[in-house]
Amino acid sequence: MKKLIIMGLLAFSFVSLGILTTGCTTQREIAAQKSGAELWAQNCIRCHNIPSPPSYTDVEWETIGLHMEMRANMTSEQITKIVEFLQAAN
Amino acid sequence: MIMKKVLLLLLAVLLLGGNMMAQESKPGKTQFMVRGYGFAGLNYLNNADGTDVSYVGSAFAPIFMFKQGDRFFFEAELEFVLEKNQLEIGLEYANLMYVLNKYLMVRAGKFLLPFGTFMERLHPSWINRLSSKPLGFGHDGIAPSSGIGVELRGSAPIGGTTINYSLYMTNGPTLKDGSVEPDEAGMLNFENYIDNNINKAVGGRVGFFPLHNNSMEIGASFFTGKPGDKGSVYEDVTSFLWALDFSYVQQISALKGVLDIKAQYNHSQVSDAFYTAGEEERDTLPDSYTFNNLSSAYYGQISYRPSMLESKFLKNLELIARYSQLSTPEGSLWEAETNELSFGLNYWITWRQVIKVNYSFINTEGGHDAPEGAGNQKSNTLFVHWAIGF
Ligand code: HEC
Repeated sequence: MKKLIIMGLLAFSFVSLGILTTGCTTQREIAAQKSGAELWAQNCIRCHNIPSPPSYTDVEWETIGLHMEMRANMTSEQITKIVEFLQAAN
Repeated sequence: MIMKKVLLLLLAVLLLGGNMMAQESKPGKTQFMVRGYGFAGLNYLNNADGTDVSYVGSAFAPIFMFKQGDRFFFEAELEFVLEKNQLEIGLEYANLMYVLNKYLMVRAGKFLLPFGTFMERLHPSWINRLSSKPLGFGHDGIAPSSGIGVELRGSAPIGGTTINYSLYMTNGPTLKDGSVEPDEAGMLNFENYIDNNINKAVGGRVGFFPLHNNSMEIGASFFTGKPGDKGSVYEDVTSFLWALDFSYVQQISALKGVLDIKAQYNHSQVSDAFYTAGEEERDTLPDSYTFNNLSSAYYGQISYRPSMLESKFLKNLELIARYSQLSTPEGSLWEAETNELSFGLNYWITWRQVIKVNYSFINTEGGHDAPEGAGNQKSNTLFVHWAIGF
């Protein structure tokens, strides 16, 4: 059972790495073009339910942004875009 | 006299200057927030000893966050719980963080360890889909949850997706040598806030998103150190732990909702050592005995929430199933094979407030709490919990 899980995970990572490296440039472009709204919808739902923009004030979103950048290990670009979106949409 | 006047004047200038500066940089550079979570509920437990029905909870965990400028952050969580009618206060974490650059931050203090993802990211009661932790975490767990030390962590874009990483050093675990509780000889104790030796534990995790929409994350972690007391016969005992974690969260139109899959595998190996049998075990064990100190635990969880349905009631419902298993070393006095199967139906009142109705079946063979020759032990629990993050 254990070995199966590990082997499954490994095989999976190799396959995905393969897909990644072949489709690298286009994917990089897609990633760079993602809007704050898109990043918010895709990422802020990964651990807990997604908080809506009106949940907090502009200032609070900044504090939460830094907290999540640290706790959720997100890149500063992602967080900057997401916080800008949340502050504009709240 | 003149000196005094000059001082007063200086003070006035400083204060005025300070005020003016404060007015210029409007929203203020310092931000302070109090957040936290709590839960209350009812547990209905049924096992060989009978039935136990208790209201539980009254746990209150305030979190203090302090942000100074764009680079400095402090977070601390207190946990207030009642243990046998006594109020106990715990410090879950308290750490300072400084952003070094776009890709790296440094943290110091007491922090939740990124050993897998469950303890660091998924355990708070308003995040955890079920009312209990999977086997292997928490009390008598084999995975570490927090430590005191320093950590470098960060995240970076790579080929259209991102990776995240963490490397830390903590006081590390201690080894239970059996002198206090003979039944637990060989166990690691992760609650070690004053170090028992010079050796520091080192650990880390790398997480990777194979898909560009970040819906899937695969992570690998390790944690290693010498747990024995300095100067004791256990001084050279080593421990090596590793974990794999998996997460997949995606809104799927065909399913009209969000599918969430989480899993983690933990492995713990402590090098061989001889332990002294307690009075009670002298009949069955030699005075000094050893065993292969290997433990493992894993869980897999799947949940589904029909968030795209029209009905306001149905879209807030969530179905959950989880399986977890824990194996502790064969030949040790805490040898056990335990597995758990849980099901849940949750109703989300808000994004951080939930009513959970969960049922869990736990099956244990052996174990240090088990009476001699108890064989298979079953316990079933119904949890009705109301959890809130605020
Ligand atoms: C990798 C997991 C993870 C991701 C992704 C994540 N969060 Fe969180 N979030 C957490 C955890 C864990 C907590 C609870 C912190 C605690 O209680 O110690 C939390 C707490 C919060 C809170 C409560 C206030 C606070 O700061 O504790 C807010 C608001 C929040 N998250 C918003 C977000 C937003 C917005 C995003 C998207 C940018 C996000 N989260 C992405 C794990 C995550």
